[in-house]
Amino acid sequence: MSAAASDDANESVRLIRDSAAAIAPPGGDTRRIRALRFQDPGFDRGVWGTMCEMGWPGLLVAEADGGSALGMREYCALAEQLGAGLAPEPLIPASMAARLLSGADLAALLAGRHLVLPAWQERPNSLDTVGDTVIAGGKVTGRKCFVPMAAGADAFVVSGQGGLALVARGAPGLSIALEQTQDGGNFGTLSFADTPCTMLAGDMVAALEPAALATAAYLLGVMDRAFALTLDYLKTRHQFGRPIGSFQALQHRAADLKIQVALTRAGVESAAAAIDAGATGALALAAVSRAKARAADAAMLVTRQAIQLHGGIGYTDEADPGLYLRKAMVLSNLYGSAALHRARYAANAADQDD
Amino acid sequence: MTQDLNALTEAEFRIVVRKFLADNYPENLRNPPKRLHWRDNQVWYHTLARTGWLCPGWPVEHGGMGLSAARQIALTEEFERHGVARTNDHGIVMVGPLLIQYGTQAQRDFFLPKILAGEHIWCQGYSEPGAGSDLAGLRTSAVSDGDHWVVNGQKIWTTLANDANWIFLLVRTDPAAKKQEGISFLLVPMDTPGITVRPIINLELHDEFCEVFFDNVRVPKANTVGEVNKGWTVAKNLLGFERIFLGSPKLSAHALGRLRALADRMGAWDDAAFTDRYTALRLELEDLKSLHATFVDIVRRGEALGPDVSMLKVIQTELFQKITDAMMDIAGENAGLLEPMEGNRELHPSGLFIQARPSTIYGGSNEIQRNILSKNVLGLPG
Repeated sequence: MSAAASDDANESVRLIRDSAAAIAPPGGDTRRIRALRFQDPGFDRGVWGTMCEMGWPGLLVAEADGGSALGMREYCALAEQLGAGLAPEPLIPASMAARLLSGADLAALLAGRHLVLPAWQERPNSLDTVGDTVIAGGKVTGRKCFVPMAAGADAFVVSGQGGLALVARGAPGLSIALEQTQDGGNFGTLSFADTPCTMLAGDMVAALEPAALATAAYLLGVMDRAFALTLDYLKTRHQFGRPIGSFQALQHRAADLKIQVALTRAGVESAAAAIDAGATGALALAAVSRAKARAADAAMLVTRQAIQLHGGIGYTDEADPGLYLRKAMVLSNLYGSAALHRARYAANAADQDD
Repeated sequence: MTQDLNALTEAEFRIVVRKFLADNYPENLRNPPKRLHWRDNQVWYHTLARTGWLCPGWPVEHGGMGLSAARQIALTEEFERHGVARTNDHGIVMVGPLLIQYGTQAQRDFFLPKILAGEHIWCQGYSEPGAGSDLAGLRTSAVSDGDHWVVNGQKIWTTLANDANWIFLLVRTDPAAKKQEGISFLLVPMDTPGITVRPIINLELHDEFCEVFFDNVRVPKANTVGEVNKGWTVAKNLLGFERIFLGSPKLSAHALGRLRALADRMGAWDDAAFTDRYTALRLELEDLKSLHATFVDIVRRGEALGPDVSMLKVIQTELFQKITDAMMDIAGENAGLLEPMEGNRELHPSGLFIQARPSTIYGGSNEIQRNILSKNVLGLPG
């Protein structure tokens, strides 16, 4: 990338961060987050509308199709900011859907009128998008699970044997079972029985990659903010007549958490830069897997330690560390767990002497 | 160098480096089992000097290659792949960058060409018997006498002092000041009367480091870097360079290659637990490379490194040890051998395991690095 292009990207990343912070202030509005938890649909349609006005679900979409045609660096910066603010709005799945839609369907999604979410998964801990679902003759039959924030969706993009299809929420033969998730959102399990659909041309497998990387970036925001909260606490909480952050055992643990956050940031930014520079195929898969594997493990470590270092207060629902832990619990294994991504990395990254 | 190496694609650049090594690197120096002394590696140092490949990170105007961070890393990887030995590189890695930033024009004009020519071989006089982790507690003194300092005291853990003809030195110039405030930074020729070097045999059974004694050693005041009594600031900056060097993925990349070779030999790839462990180590190395590149870019832009560079040292050295731990775990009885397995230099788990021990101790122990991170980066109270 030329220096000028790099400066342009830095500038647009800064603009994205600023506008994201206005809607999802990092750690600044946990009242909003708490109010939405465990309620239907788990997020705020009004805030979602604002995010659409900002052009966020179309960030990666070509300008000719109504998007902003920005890169992964901007998308990751946005996702990180939303993670720091724990924003529950389903930006990542909706952005994934945006890559699979076109024409009026895409326009309605980008305008915030019609929320479409992807339904691709059939088994836990798998990135297989096809499974046993059959799409044929304008009908879908099968079962999809772990659809995040399905409670608020107006339609679903479904992948299966026979391709990709769009299914309206109220379509006959579609039943939706919702389960609450630890962060206050929900997973939908969708059962299709000869459910009418319209065929789509997109590529669900390719659309998974930006979603997995953006989830790593979101987790980076989550852990970064949880770590910041914890540092504040170490500096202000007194025991034995001293701030607990003056104890070397806790200082060294804090240093180790800082290192994990820094490694995650380096991995996410390097993957985003590689993809923006044109990395494809095995190279891109390896970069995304590296970022997601680190982010998943590090987010769990940092948020677990946030509870431990807050002591008893950390174990109360009233204190904020738990919000970050619960978010990490839901997102760490979404779009592939750390173990899955380690294995995928090994399968795709050429080893030194290969 | 006539070719603009930064303008090549990475793949093209790597081809150029491979050709350079194939054409120039002495075959008998590939994959040495222990760190080479100057008597053995000077041929290679002079080849690098003659061809302009000695100082990849120095700016071009000072005789370096001015390579970007990504290129420096690729260069290191290719050197690693070829089994290139480390040279006596204190001048290249530390003194050069230091003088470029803090030296006077006269110091730059005098010293940089001599590093580039391989005339000056440097060593570092920091630690003392009573000042290890507590480096600022150093007691080697320099007393003013006209236009000279008179130095008395002792340094220890001085790597390859037995090869060096110059030493950079932290000395106490104001014994009354607070510990960090009375220290100065001196450049001293090793042939000055009153200097005695005594090698120390380490756990590798190798005389890689030494004690250096100073008995009324006279040093011209013109050889002071930065202001008198402000040497701690200079030293701290140099510690930054040292940490970025100690945090370079090179050692861990080297060790991972050896782990791979050992796993081939031991048939370890059939063990799923080993392959997952191996992949986790690979990923850690790749993340370290990404993080390291961000710090290399800071140096390349001519900006000062912050205390957060300590992260690199911690990550690299602990990864190095984790890799050698894995080697010991799959090596079976070979883990106890003194010499390489089967006469093959690439199969020496016990040797690398021993080599990994001091990495978490030298250059500021990892406990000290974590103290620095918690106090100077995270702002935790003392």
